[in-house]
Amino acid sequence: MSAADSTASLAFMPPAVPGWALPRGPVTSDVEAAFLAGAALNSLDNLVCTATPWAGAWRQRMALKCAAAAVALAGRTEDEAQLRDAWHLRTAGADPGPAGNLLAAWRRLAERSPDIGPDALRSIVAVLGLRWRDDLAGLECFDGLARSNRPAPLVAAALMAEVQRVRPDAELLAWWLADLAIAARMRWPMAMPMLVTQARGPAFRSAGGRGRIRPGGEGFERGICVALALAAAQACRLAGEIAPRAARLVAAAPKLRAKGAGDVIQLLLDDDAVSGTWQTASLTRWGARRLFDRLTSLDAVRELSGRASFRLYGL
Amino acid sequence: MARRTQTEELFDAELADMPPELRWREWMGRVEAVIFASPVPVGRETLARVVGRDCSLDLLIDDIRDELVGRPYELVAVAGGWQHRTKNGFAAAIRAATGLGAPDSKALSQAESLVLLCIGYFQPITRAELGQVFGKEVSRDTIGHLRKLGFIAAGPRSPQPGAPYTYVTTPAFLSQFGFETLRDLPDFERLEDAGLLSKDRLLAGDLLPSFSAIGDSEEVTPVHDQHEVSVDDE
Repeated sequence: MSAADSTASLAFMPPAVPGWALPRGPVTSDVEAAFLAGAALNSLDNLVCTATPWAGAWRQRMALKCAAAAVALAGRTEDEAQLRDAWHLRTAGADPGPAGNLLAAWRRLAERSPDIGPDALRSIVAVLGLRWRDDLAGLECFDGLARSNRPAPLVAAALMAEVQRVRPDAELLAWWLADLAIAARMRWPMAMPMLVTQARGPAFRSAGGRGRIRPGGEGFERGICVALALAAAQACRLAGEIAPRAARLVAAAPKLRAKGAGDVIQLLLDDDAVSGTWQTASLTRWGARRLFDRLTSLDAVRELSGRASFRLYGL
Repeated sequence: MARRTQTEELFDAELADMPPELRWREWMGRVEAVIFASPVPVGRETLARVVGRDCSLDLLIDDIRDELVGRPYELVAVAGGWQHRTKNGFAAAIRAATGLGAPDSKALSQAESLVLLCIGYFQPITRAELGQVFGKEVSRDTIGHLRKLGFIAAGPRSPQPGAPYTYVTTPAFLSQFGFETLRDLPDFERLEDAGLLSKDRLLAGDLLPSFSAIGDSEEVTPVHDQHEVSVDDE
């Protein structure tokens, strides 16, 4: 879809998760949790199934948030800005480092259809920095889970419990697969990275004492439901932020005279960030610089890194 | 040529007509032979070609390991594959007999090992940041030597004046030091729990004493490529 003919769908305002569907305080009953998850998933489902022109940027930004959460789970300290740097400042094909690889994993999740074969599973295990063992290949019950008639959150919870049972050290993989299971069960064309952002959130706080509810533990299914409600609300909120920015960007497009401007606008709508020195055959890096300056003055993009050099632009 | 393709076609990985016990032994033999014959760690895909489809490689490897308990070498999982390596306890014997494993120009010096360990923990990290960690400049020669040995590679560029390259470790690093993933680096968890594993704090300079203490206690002395040694050993 080119930027010009997408103005009609840009008027589309993404649905927000209604306030009554957000948990206030700890959720104590399974029924309530399931109700919240269903309500929130409906809003998200409407959004995912509408082919909005800025869907790429939205998904990749969610992937970035997920990667930041995953990095914290893995015991590293990189934040979102550093992850962005690791990804966008590497030369083509270079190793983005351990934290950058986690971002690569969740970016891949945002781009892939929800079915996964043994080869893809193996490569994602490697990217996540985990050990591969053949018992993970036994997870092909994944197909069965996705086609079952059980509700999406319970499918995800069952899959996570299975991963936890087989490989207690593969927590990141469990979260990664959970999003995939949700997408498969919801029949989404592409997976939506979101659940891992709630991994340390209130959803998995155990009722009485301290500590967290582990996959397969008591109350985990309820936890997944609440986490899903929170994550879906977060995703919808993010879409609500991105939509008007994307509208401004597309509205600014006719005012641009640079030759390769169309490509840049498409790229901005498709990805979380674009390097300030991005160049193509029709756009030199100096041209790109002028273009981004012009876009910034038109308030159509934001500079994301806050630096005077090595700038990254995005919606 | 034609003959070779014929034998390849005739190779029977499934061994369907053998009794299960015998078949398992045959598979164990094949897997061990393939790993033994290879100078580099052998990956799962390669091994899967010589065993049946429903054979669990992990169980098979476990059985082979059990057999090797009394031997001076063992089967270790490194860098996504398996390799025969001489057991650590025999390092002195090998050194005495052949001189292999003794400090030589190809091996890492103590300083280089520390730099490598530091990159392993805090990657991606630039040379300037490494210099701050150690309190003196880490020379280009050190980095160059590590790169030449294939232990580190260039990662993303750091957003600082001059856009210096950061350095990241490679699979060869994992293989050489007997790690399967970066999570196997010694005491990763304990450092995390102690709140020590932070590049920012390291650069602030309040971490150096404990860091060098780790460097002394852990095995940073060069691990020689022991596979060749184990072949000589036979």
